[in-house]
Amino acid sequence: MKIELIVSGSCPFCLEAEKVWRAAAADHGFEFSVVDIIQPEGAALTQRLNLQTVPALLIGGKLRAVGVQSPEEALTLLLPARQEAHDRMQQMGVAFSPDNRWFILAAQAYLMLAGLGLLMNGSFLSDNAARPAFMHLFTLGFMLFMIYGLASHMLPRFTGNPIREGVWPWLQMGLAHCGVIGYAAGYLAGRHTLIVVGAVLTWLSLAIFAFRVWPVLWPEKA
Amino acid sequence: MHKRNRLFVSIALVYGLLGGLIAIVRLIDPSLIPGNVPRAHGHIMLLGFILMMIYGIALHVLPRFGGFPLYSEQMADWQLYLANAGLPLMIAGWLGWRDMLVMVGGVLTYGAIVLFGLNMILTVRARGQGRTISVQ
Repeated sequence: MKIELIVSGSCPFCLEAEKVWRAAAADHGFEFSVVDIIQPEGAALTQRLNLQTVPALLIGGKLRAVGVQSPEEALTLLLPARQEAHDRMQQMGVAFSPDNRWFILAAQAYLMLAGLGLLMNGSFLSDNAARPAFMHLFTLGFMLFMIYGLASHMLPRFTGNPIREGVWPWLQMGLAHCGVIGYAAGYLAGRHTLIVVGAVLTWLSLAIFAFRVWPVLWPEKA
Repeated sequence: MHKRNRLFVSIALVYGLLGGLIAIVRLIDPSLIPGNVPRAHGHIMLLGFILMMIYGIALHVLPRFGGFPLYSEQMADWQLYLANAGLPLMIAGWLGWRDMLVMVGGVLTYGAIVLFGLNMILTVRARGQGRTISVQ
């Protein structure tokens, strides 16, 4: 999280504000920069925020205060940012989150289901009508679920950007389960409609995965 | 994460959605998309989705897990160009029944595979002064 202090060379209070915020940022591990309104960046910020007063304080690109704060006021203003940084650190923990753990577990179950094709047909890719069912239990059930679990776990850690959580991973998982099972069952039962519905649901789960991962790869600039 | 590796993962997602979409369209009405759609679908998913996802993630993690920097960033850049020139040609060849396009696309795709393989071998098996990372 970045702290920016917008100042003016002709402002007698700005130096005091800079001292307070430079110390607060250093104490709590935040990046800190001072932007003068005569610089192009400062002029752009002033225009964007419609600023009338300096010094002005931005935390994470958002205007949080104007004027000179005491060290105690600075600490109070930093609390939400500190909490957000803490939450993000938890999200970036080493262990799997519950959704990713379930993706990985489900992948192993689908691998074992796909392997049944070996017992039933004597070949993983048989020549009979069940071929698409077992092949897609492997590719969609095992490989796709592994990608869901591992990529959702690793990419936020590689990039340092958070992934969309909340209801999204569970919706993605529900659609993927219904889709893969429906698709495979459709082929095994000879029900074309079930095959199509299964394919559409699986595709929707992939679309949600892309929706979740995209801001991890290409975050919006503050 | 290097921009090229993020591009690999992003392109993998696009190919995954595209490959799934043409399979769904084919399931609904086989006459809507001409050409050898099952083969195009299979290769979009395997070479476009799975392989490019692996490219993006492996180029990031294997040097780190191996303890050496990536042998050649330039090879990895060319891998991106070749992989993304080759697969569209293959797809166009299958959907347009043009064997020549499939062949040229296959050669380019194979070029990307070889570049990746060599780059990974030379990275993970890196030897010699100046390439090792000190543990002290």
